Amino acid sequence: MTDDIAIRVRGVSHHFGEADEARHVRALLDTSLDVARGELLCLIGPSGCGKSTLLNVMGGLLEPTTGNVEIGGKPARGPMPRDIAFVFQENALFPWNTVFENVMLGMLFQGVAKAERETRARRSLEAVGLAGFTEHYPGQLSGGMRQRAALARALSLETGILLMDEPFGALDEQTRMILGEDLSVLLARTEKTIVFVTHSLGEAVFLADRVAVFSARPGTVKQVISVNEPHPRKPEFATSEKFTALRNQLYALLHDEIRKAVSQTASATADGAA
Amino acid sequence: MAGRSGGRGWSLGSRAVQAAFLIMLVVLWYLATTRWRVNPLLLPNPVAVLRELGDILRSGEFVDDLRITLTELAIAFALATAGGIVTGYVISRAAYLIRVFEPLFAGIYSIPIILFLPLYVLFFGLGPASKIALGATIGFFPIVLNTIAGFGYVERMLIVAARSMGASDYQLFRYVLLPAALPVILTGLRMGFTIVLLSIIGSETIASLAGLGHRIVHLAEGMDMARMFAYIAFVVVIAVVLNMIVSTLEARGKRQ
Amino acid sequence: MTAGALDIKRILLRHPGVARLGVIVFLFIAWEIAARWFVDPMFLSPPSRVVASLHRVWQTPGVPAALHITLWELGIAFALSVIIGLVVGLAVGLQPFARRSTLPIILLLYGTPQITILPLFILYFGIGPASKIAFGVSHGIFPIIVTIVAGVQNLKPILLVSARSMGASRWHVLRYVVFPHMIPSFFAGMRLAMTGVLLGVLLAELYVSTAGIGHFTTLFTQAFDPTKLLGLVAILAAMAIVLNEVVRRAEVKFSRWHTN
Repeated sequence: MTDDIAIRVRGVSHHFGEADEARHVRALLDTSLDVARGELLCLIGPSGCGKSTLLNVMGGLLEPTTGNVEIGGKPARGPMPRDIAFVFQENALFPWNTVFENVMLGMLFQGVAKAERETRARRSLEAVGLAGFTEHYPGQLSGGMRQRAALARALSLETGILLMDEPFGALDEQTRMILGEDLSVLLARTEKTIVFVTHSLGEAVFLADRVAVFSARPGTVKQVISVNEPHPRKPEFATSEKFTALRNQLYALLHDEIRKAVSQTASATADGAA
Repeated sequence: MAGRSGGRGWSLGSRAVQAAFLIMLVVLWYLATTRWRVNPLLLPNPVAVLRELGDILRSGEFVDDLRITLTELAIAFALATAGGIVTGYVISRAAYLIRVFEPLFAGIYSIPIILFLPLYVLFFGLGPASKIALGATIGFFPIVLNTIAGFGYVERMLIVAARSMGASDYQLFRYVLLPAALPVILTGLRMGFTIVLLSIIGSETIASLAGLGHRIVHLAEGMDMARMFAYIAFVVVIAVVLNMIVSTLEARGKRQ
Repeated sequence: MTAGALDIKRILLRHPGVARLGVIVFLFIAWEIAARWFVDPMFLSPPSRVVASLHRVWQTPGVPAALHITLWELGIAFALSVIIGLVVGLAVGLQPFARRSTLPIILLLYGTPQITILPLFILYFGIGPASKIAFGVSHGIFPIIVTIVAGVQNLKPILLVSARSMGASRWHVLRYVVFPHMIPSFFAGMRLAMTGVLLGVLLAELYVSTAGIGHFTTLFTQAFDPTKLLGLVAILAAMAIVLNEVVRRAEVKFSRWHTN
């Protein structure tokens, strides 16, 4: 039974800072979640609801104040580079290395044998469509291409789990659309378990098998919606009735939470300015 | 990455280290000259230095040298400022002129212009004139470079917006160019001041008959260590105070 | 305008470098004219004569040796500045507590007018090359320390997080993340250090020197020989320009990835 669950989150709460400090923030409240092996789960919610925090907890980058996470039955305590690879929102590529060097470096950190690194690097760069840009520096590439490179680096690590923190968040809508379609095609070929944080309703419905909707801060899972649609997702799916219905469902769930989050920020700013 | 590195705790610790460092320095100095018998010709007793300093201040011996140094400083800085700002403004008016002259000035500025001191001494003699001339020459460069940068790289959109609202040349200068360029120019003036001061003291040290720099050399040659140390402290304090005043003026000018 | 003049104008407009050269040439011509017909030859010598007499400067006994020594002093002072500056800079920059406590002290020292203690350096290190090197180092270490500390400090945390998430060890992080990030700052620091070392060594030389270039500048000045003095100063200026250029080129070469 446990073999089917790749990531098990149990009762995770997290706060930053001590209770009496001004910068005390309760990010997560009693969150529990199971991520099935091979599924793509989206985490969506208003700003500040703790979804990125939860991702970091899942990946062992952050130890939660209460609760625990199990990766494939083992408790997560610190980074697990052989099991989990990250794709961050931006700026995580080393600007002084070329795209190719960046991908190679990731494998060096993980401990991949030298002989194998080059093959894997070329393969993953080809898979994301950057075969012709391997000798470029990140500074010379567009935002979309940089994220492709970041993805290639994560893929070359050949982990079972991929955690993606708003990877397309800094890109314009058209690039997001293309990258989303390409990602779906790419991931259909692998059997990775993916947890994907996003703000975009459309992106969540398009990519995910299930979408976990978060409440406003302190975040907890409000509801989980299933998207029963085979992979790879076709572009036509984005204009289908099913898509629209699901998207509307997400909107209904999220709207109040978003309003709540905005008023939280407004009152925080007012307090700060006072 | 997170941890107890924020908050008030650390600043006390680091301030303590700084205070301890200074205290330790003074203590070591005192011990070196009294207990450890370091040659007083190398390192004078700090108490003796203080005594000499008191004597210098009380007797007013420093007044003539200070007046000479400050006069040289003032005139050299005034010349450098006038020349630098006017030249900088004129050049900034055309992108082509900027491309021609800016690298030229930057290139000359990168070599130690104090190297030309012997030439200035040959031409102007050992008196204040050579110090003023050299100081003005050296101070000219940071001022002109910053003036060019200030006026020459004003945000295009601001000029376009002003022109589209019908601003005349004078209005453009007064209400757009000048306020936009002011922070950079003030920085240039501060840098120019610092470097003129250093160059004046430097040229007084190397080739002069009077002034604070010369006084220190004179005392060194006479091996009057305590008095020399006293003068060094005096000059350092004056330099620090002057620089602080100029920095404050710069910040004040930038704030509005 | 004649066709020829139009061509010249077009060339000048397209190549500011040519115009710059023109400005320099113009200045030299002005110098030539002033020195020949307007200024007492005891005080100023025209560039034509200076260039023609360069060999005589070179042949003055002791001058080549003095230049040689100066070059050595510059080299050693620069090397020492870089090594000491690098060690101190890393020690201070990599440890947050060390940085917060010692950096203000370092900045304080950096800001004091070192020229006031030049006589002290001579008293302590003697009138030979040691004092020149010491004074040069004391000017050169500070920019290196300061730029390295700044370079280490502005490393974006996400790069460290990213490396850690891929399983990088402490050594990996230092070697593949911190060091390469720091290189442009390091080279910028070296450029400033070269300026500082030039200043320090030359100041010390001009102050006192029995066999160094300071001796000859004094000699030529007292003999009212502007030709030789200008020649010597020109040689030194050329040396300074070349050294600065070498470091500047190195900086550009090693910072290719540094956008903007």
